[in-house]
Amino acid sequence: MKRRTFLTGVGTAGAVGLAGCTGFVGDGGAPSGTLTVATYSSFTGEGTAGNWLKSAFESEYPDATVEFVTPENGLNQYIQRAQQDAPIDADLYVGLNTGELVRADERLDSDLFVRVEADLDGATNVKSDLRIDPDGRAIAYDTGYITLVYDENEVSGPFTFDGLLEPEFEDALITQNAQQSDPGRAFLLWTIDAKGEDGYLEYWQGLLDNGVTILDDWEPAYNAYLAEEAPMVVSYSTDQVYYHGPDVDMSRHQVGFVEDQGYANPEAMAMFAGTDEGELARQFMEFVLTPEAQREVASRNVQYPAVAGVEMPEEFSQYAYEPPEAVTFTYDELAGNVSTWIEDWARQVASN
Amino acid sequence: MSALRESLERHALALGTLGTLAVLVVTFYHPVGSVLLQALVDGGRLTAGPLLAVLADPFYTGAASGLFADPLGVPGGVAAWLADVTLSPFDVPPLGFGLVGFTAYQAALSTVASVALGLPGAYLLSRFEFRGRRTIRSLTILPFVLPSVMVAVGFLAMFGANGVFNDVLGVFGLGPVRLLFTLEIIVLAHAFYNAPLVTRLVTAAWESVDASGVETARTMGASPRRAFRDVVLPQLWPALLTSALLTFVFTFMTFPIVLALGGLRLATLEVWLYARVGDLALTEAAAIGTIETVLTLSLTYLYLRYEARTAGTTDRGRPLPRRPLFDGVGSLADPVRVALLGYGAVVVVVFVGPLLSMVVESVTDPSGTFTTAYWAFLLDQQTAAAAGTVRPLPAVLRSLAFGVGTLAIAVPMGVVVSVLSVRGGRGSRAAEAVLTAPLAVSGVVVGLGLLQTLVFGTVLFGQRIVVTGAVAVVAAHAVSAYPFVTRNVAPALGGLDPRVVDAARSLGASRVRTLLDVELPLVSTAVLAGAAFAFAISVGEFDSTVILAEGVDSATMPVALERYIGNRSIGPSLGPATAMGTVLLVVTAGSFLVIDRFGGRYEL
Repeated sequence: MKRRTFLTGVGTAGAVGLAGCTGFVGDGGAPSGTLTVATYSSFTGEGTAGNWLKSAFESEYPDATVEFVTPENGLNQYIQRAQQDAPIDADLYVGLNTGELVRADERLDSDLFVRVEADLDGATNVKSDLRIDPDGRAIAYDTGYITLVYDENEVSGPFTFDGLLEPEFEDALITQNAQQSDPGRAFLLWTIDAKGEDGYLEYWQGLLDNGVTILDDWEPAYNAYLAEEAPMVVSYSTDQVYYHGPDVDMSRHQVGFVEDQGYANPEAMAMFAGTDEGELARQFMEFVLTPEAQREVASRNVQYPAVAGVEMPEEFSQYAYEPPEAVTFTYDELAGNVSTWIEDWARQVASN
Repeated sequence: MSALRESLERHALALGTLGTLAVLVVTFYHPVGSVLLQALVDGGRLTAGPLLAVLADPFYTGAASGLFADPLGVPGGVAAWLADVTLSPFDVPPLGFGLVGFTAYQAALSTVASVALGLPGAYLLSRFEFRGRRTIRSLTILPFVLPSVMVAVGFLAMFGANGVFNDVLGVFGLGPVRLLFTLEIIVLAHAFYNAPLVTRLVTAAWESVDASGVETARTMGASPRRAFRDVVLPQLWPALLTSALLTFVFTFMTFPIVLALGGLRLATLEVWLYARVGDLALTEAAAIGTIETVLTLSLTYLYLRYEARTAGTTDRGRPLPRRPLFDGVGSLADPVRVALLGYGAVVVVVFVGPLLSMVVESVTDPSGTFTTAYWAFLLDQQTAAAAGTVRPLPAVLRSLAFGVGTLAIAVPMGVVVSVLSVRGGRGSRAAEAVLTAPLAVSGVVVGLGLLQTLVFGTVLFGQRIVVTGAVAVVAAHAVSAYPFVTRNVAPALGGLDPRVVDAARSLGASRVRTLLDVELPLVSTAVLAGAAFAFAISVGEFDSTVILAEGVDSATMPVALERYIGNRSIGPSLGPATAMGTVLLVVTAGSFLVIDRFGGRYEL
């Protein structure tokens, strides 16, 4: 506890120094105006990363206001608005992943977002394997690693993809629908990485024959896992950060990497092309990349920071596991492929 | 002054019709049309391409795809499929069905299950007297307002591997059965939602059967069974068919329940439609939506034609007397009462169990020990000042306000459409089918349409007109609710003796006066039943509320519940959502008991 207080103090001092500098580096002076941030709904509200960012940014720059909008259909809202020449009504999008950026680019003739990386202090600090956008529009601010969470009383690792087809894993795995769930999509992409574009459907037929359950999203999948419907679930390597505690049976919350890997699923932010608050949006993005903001956002989102060298709170570091090897598809590998891969997969599952 | 009033009265029905149409055009026809046209129009020209692409794809239409892709190869394909059919109704090869066939198949099973589970309830509630009968009758509407995610939680706790159901089976040395993520559990969940609909509609019809008709038949020598078949049953048929048809249409368009309890392996057409919209494959989505709409609207049209043929003139006189359910020790040996007792046990397992499980989840942590953390969470949200926080109390009040607003619009709309359908001439069935369309169009299509037209705005005369906010939400609720008012009121109005209306008119009353002063009081029970549905639909509605609402300032109870699922501040747990679900349950149950009391006085 003491250690945490100490770190908070140092972090705050550091952030003030850094942010103070960036205010002068930008050409617009001290940030002012109203920034409308589009994001997902659980990013906002009491105790969330979004709310911390809003308060911290506003108290740092009293002339600036941050407002959130949380459209139910996420990024699609803005892709569709752009398609129909409807006003965008937001300056910044927070919570973008690589697949969504690919979808936006495939569905639109012009760019939904502007290039910002070159003008952004701190962008070079983002870990190189989290630079998801070759065009420098989307900047990662945190990342999760998709992995298995399992009950060690029922099944045991180490896990391999081929091993999951064995009889001991019959009816053992719950995963999510890759059409609409981040971890589900990550797990599917991971199997494509392992089995190849030509082999993954056959591999999934094996999983289906072995009784894999595919629910629509992380919440129902995890809830079914907690209700002991199956001894394994596709989830995040930060599972124990939620679950440690004196009364918790940790044998039910083991983190298991498949093939000693985890699939990295970075979350990114990007500035809308039509914004007239470009300078303010840029300053906000820089603020998100400061070490203190990185630490707060990551621990409130229960994810890893995107910037290297950020000291995380002790309770996080003790219970979060980083995979020995991180796997992820780059923008270029997903472009032109990801829609087809997912649809072919979903058709196979739904016909089963 | 009186001339103005007279003229208003004379034109009131026309004005009501115009108002109804205006609301429908803005919040339904224009939005839905904007979506469906994407499948039919390409660059300003009509095209069948997207529709044919779906119809000829074996993934969608299974063996029937041959009809569109290769008409000559059909007979061989059918023979091959028939050879594969096994005896169990849950074990038909799904590939041969295609997505459309599988969707219809599960809807048919769900309809059978809903009727089987709902009919005994109607018999019990309309023919027996017991303590709490009226309360139970008004609570039958509760499943309607429950968000599917809560039903899924309840079903998980009730029918899961470690659920109460398996525990009880274990006591008798049976089980365990693995029910979750199977077709069986989806059918059961559909019955959870729709059997109460069957019960409500059939109970209302049964209660309006005139006792003197039965007595006449009996004095003429008919056995009780014969009197039931010849006198009572014909008056129950329309209600039974209405509820069965509605169940089929609803479960044909089912979506969240399948996602939550079945998963992708049991995907229906609507699940797929949702996924295509998510991938922004909007032309294919529009084609699926069009096919779905044509199928469900045709069914609705066929049913309305049937209803028009069977709706006869019935005098509403004395209702059938109710027997006491418990009538001394001797009544315990009565086979009918024993069967009803067994039915009561089924009701406890299927309906009370999941609801109770949800309440229990709200005070139990994942390891099964008692906790007040989830209720403390609600209190914290109430006092939190952070941006984006959905506070529980305003959500409750807003839900109630939207419900009352919906009543104010949906009841007049529903009555206007009922009058049109009862008094209509040629082509009125088709017109009514079109006016009933909100029941028969996919929720995903309506949502997408609302987004593209009202939320993004429509350009008129160079101005972008955007319609969102509370008024738009209430109007959208009213559009999905008024067909229930119509389905309750129209048969009752049709059953009135036309001489009553004629007498009032000949005494100088305007058409509207007659409706307000004579007809509606006579069918007040039906109006009240329709109003209860309208209120329930508004309280339970999620999709259009979220699309049309502007941020947390228009969050309703279901929206709050959904937001709390996403809130991980006290770990990945459904606890906060189950606490909010319990609030929703208590608030709505309370509202219906109030409506019930009010209704009781109204009937006097």
